Amino acid sequence: MTPKLKVALAVAVTCALASLPWLASATILQFSISTLLLATLAQGWNIIGGYTGYASFGNSVFFGLGSYGTAIAMVQWHLPFGVGLVFGAVLAVVFALVLGIPVLRLRGHYFAIATLALSQVMTAIVSNLEIAGRNTGLVLPLLNGDPLFYELSLALLVLATLTVFWIAHSRFGFGLIAIRENEDAAASMGINTTLYKVLAFAISGIFSALAGGIHAYWITFIDPVSAFDLSLNVKMIIMTVFGGPASILGPVVGAFVLSGISEILSSAISSVASLFFGAVIIVAVVFMPRGLADVLRRFRKTGWRYFSENVKKYRL
Amino acid sequence: MSESLLSVQGLSAGYGEMSVLREVTIDVSRGEIVALVGSNGAGKTTLLRALSRMIASTGRIEFDGHDLHDLSPDQAFGLGLVQVPEGRQLFDKMTVLENLMMGAYRRRGKTDIRATLEYVYELFPRLHERRAQRAGSMSGGEQQMCAMGRALMAKPKLLMVDEMSLGLAPVIVDQLLDVLSAIRKQGMTVLLIEQDVFAALQVADRGYVMETGAVTRAGTAQALIEDPEVKRAYLGL
Repeated sequence: MTPKLKVALAVAVTCALASLPWLASATILQFSISTLLLATLAQGWNIIGGYTGYASFGNSVFFGLGSYGTAIAMVQWHLPFGVGLVFGAVLAVVFALVLGIPVLRLRGHYFAIATLALSQVMTAIVSNLEIAGRNTGLVLPLLNGDPLFYELSLALLVLATLTVFWIAHSRFGFGLIAIRENEDAAASMGINTTLYKVLAFAISGIFSALAGGIHAYWITFIDPVSAFDLSLNVKMIIMTVFGGPASILGPVVGAFVLSGISEILSSAISSVASLFFGAVIIVAVVFMPRGLADVLRRFRKTGWRYFSENVKKYRL
Repeated sequence: MSESLLSVQGLSAGYGEMSVLREVTIDVSRGEIVALVGSNGAGKTTLLRALSRMIASTGRIEFDGHDLHDLSPDQAFGLGLVQVPEGRQLFDKMTVLENLMMGAYRRRGKTDIRATLEYVYELFPRLHERRAQRAGSMSGGEQQMCAMGRALMAKPKLLMVDEMSLGLAPVIVDQLLDVLSAIRKQGMTVLLIEQDVFAALQVADRGYVMETGAVTRAGTAQALIEDPEVKRAYLGL
């Protein structure tokens, strides 16, 4: 495909997606909103986890900060939704800078564990804040406008994807990849690794926070446990890894496919759906450990052998 | 004597409570190869880390007219202080060409970078042959070439080479030393940090011998090779 054709295709797909509210039922629309938000979260995780190679479990904190930022601004200060979104994103950036600088000094598992603790800490802090409604949470003003939430979520996903596209083709992104591949070497090549990592963390956080803000206003209710839910972070990772980390469309496709599978399973066989969902993940990890993006790239060359080779290569 | 490029005076550094370097004073002039030799644990790599500002230090470091004391590693790099790190530190999963281009990360101007790439390929024809190969799949000698080529891609003013000979066959080390001599003739300044005292002093103009964190001997390479103490301790003669 030529680049022009790719752009045309991307625009066409986006337009088609944008017309969904006029075509789909209310249930499908709701499912689509949550899928788009998940895809945005996965895309955000892709920046810090996929490109920079730092497996963050702190992205659900960004989501929670975005939710609470928006809710506090709207409920306590009676500010408009847009201002709330910006406030949530600012909180996320501040958090990324203040905590990123110490936490991003840790590498590998240590970084993952340190960020794992962050969402627990935030749950505890927010549960004790008067302005955040303590344990009971906050109730946002009701807005019956699923089409609006849908278009907002779609716009945010497009923005996140364009950002990842820019990263993948920029000097900055090249620096992030260098950090992922060998941080010491990146430092000895004159890359300011601390600055780059913190920036990647912050950009990742902005998208998670904006998704959190939209989600809070859409759901109209937030409480500490659901806002800082760690399993949401796990979903981001699974979707990104399933689709293909450090690829531009991988996390989006991963989110769409896995949300779809999960939805079909839970409506068809509600009680054991998560069991089947787990099986899908295991099969995916065994046969395509580098994600759908890698399958698409290499399947044409290797054919069905691709899957057996993966099993051999990664000794699974 | 020609103009000084790097001047280190009374430099002390260490890790936490432990001090490693005591009052080190060395000097590197433009266009010369200076060898910094000594056995394991003498503090050579610590000195290099202090020079590239990876660790804090006291004392004076002046490079190309700039005081390095308050600079970060990337700022020191920006002044042209580039190292070939110990253990090569290549981007294993990237190709040779990608590794080389990482060296030019901070530079702008495609034609300029292209010219340096041609120059590196000229110095190391093997890298040109293997440009599309994954760096991690090459032999140790080729990886060392790649690491040196990558550092040269940054157009350094001072090339600091750390333990270049480690784990390499003598014939490969000789080849690499020849390359260092060649780039010196074209005006490059090299600080060669080596355990292989004899190899380093072969190509160097001057040398410093380090022992337990301090410089114990200094002089021309010839004088050091002939020094009975150096002979006895390092050359086994």
